[in-house]
Amino acid sequence: MKLASLFSGGKDSAYAIYKAMKEHEIGCLISIKSKNPESYMFHTPNIELTRLQADAIGLPLIVAETEGQKESELLDLTEAIKKAVELFQIKGVVTGAIESVYQATRIQKICDELGLWCFNPLWQINQLELLDELIENKFEVIISAVAAYPLDDSWLGKKLDKKTVTELKELQEKYKINPAGEGGEFESFVLSAPFFKKRIVVNESSKKFSGNSGLFEIKRAELK
Amino acid sequence: MILIISTCADKLSEAEFVKPIVIIVGKCEIKHYNDKIDFKKYSKIIICGTALKDNSYLEKIDNFLSLKETIASVLGICSGMQILGLLYGGNIIKNKEIGMTQIKTIKKNQLVSGEFEAYSLHGNGLENLDQFDILAESAKSVQAIKHKKKEFYGIMFHPEVRNEKIVRNFLDFAGM
Repeated sequence: MKLASLFSGGKDSAYAIYKAMKEHEIGCLISIKSKNPESYMFHTPNIELTRLQADAIGLPLIVAETEGQKESELLDLTEAIKKAVELFQIKGVVTGAIESVYQATRIQKICDELGLWCFNPLWQINQLELLDELIENKFEVIISAVAAYPLDDSWLGKKLDKKTVTELKELQEKYKINPAGEGGEFESFVLSAPFFKKRIVVNESSKKFSGNSGLFEIKRAELK
Repeated sequence: MILIISTCADKLSEAEFVKPIVIIVGKCEIKHYNDKIDFKKYSKIIICGTALKDNSYLEKIDNFLSLKETIASVLGICSGMQILGLLYGGNIIKNKEIGMTQIKTIKKNQLVSGEFEAYSLHGNGLENLDQFDILAESAKSVQAIKHKKKEFYGIMFHPEVRNEKIVRNFLDFAGM
């Protein structure tokens, strides 16, 4: 079956693709560029770079822009999925949803309306297990945004490896933060994964941090 | 031994509908309904749900006929409840519910209690459930049943999402 992947550029949607590729063909990626940084549905940091990630993977990308208002952004998502059906004849959608009943319900409803299969291969996954699996499977992931104390600017741009995962587990015990960032504690960006044909090298970046939140902005990057 | 049965036509759906149940249950055997299963080997059996678009289990009810001979306790979730209903005279009707749904317990039982919210993901419901007690319902449909003579339970919503305790309740009292 040919599927479209709802792709934010972060670890969860990338790992969902990895799992889906073992059973099906991915026909295209769909990224939603939300003008609202507080979007209920779509994660925003470095979303422009999904184009570079799509090139690195070797898949076509559909980018849909949305104002990011609570329910109208769902219409924009529906249109983007319709486009994937028309252009690439996809029969289903794969997402990286783990816990969010809000996101899962809405995507299930859209797929139902369009007569498509909906796959959420990370649904209810143990999140510490997910981090370990990413490292085991040689995903190269950096932290692209933080939004929870005590994650400070030193976390911006940090690679997820055994050491950082141990640190996140310790913070989970001490401060109750979700170690996989599911509660919006941090966002991630995938530089390379087993299904990437090329890896992304960041040549220039900057960190912005204020209050309890910060952003790792990738200014210049290339494929190698 | 506990048996978990997959009703997923597509293997990718098993990560979503079978694995979360396995995480709650722990040590168990996992089989698909197309596998040859000796139901008598197990003391507790859970039949898991599947994707909204997947109705292929409805064509394979015969694979479950020997389940009627088992003395095991059985919990059917979503498609699993539909299978139990069909085995004992029930009919499938169209009934779509997607997302968090208010559930009300209407008959005291060991599985569910009181009023609570649960995650629904189904396009079908059941009617003609004369051989079952209705344990709980939503505003639209029957949500939990128990066979009148056997330890066969069905729940239409997905307890693995936000209501894991219901699966644990089943594991605790079943087979006792």
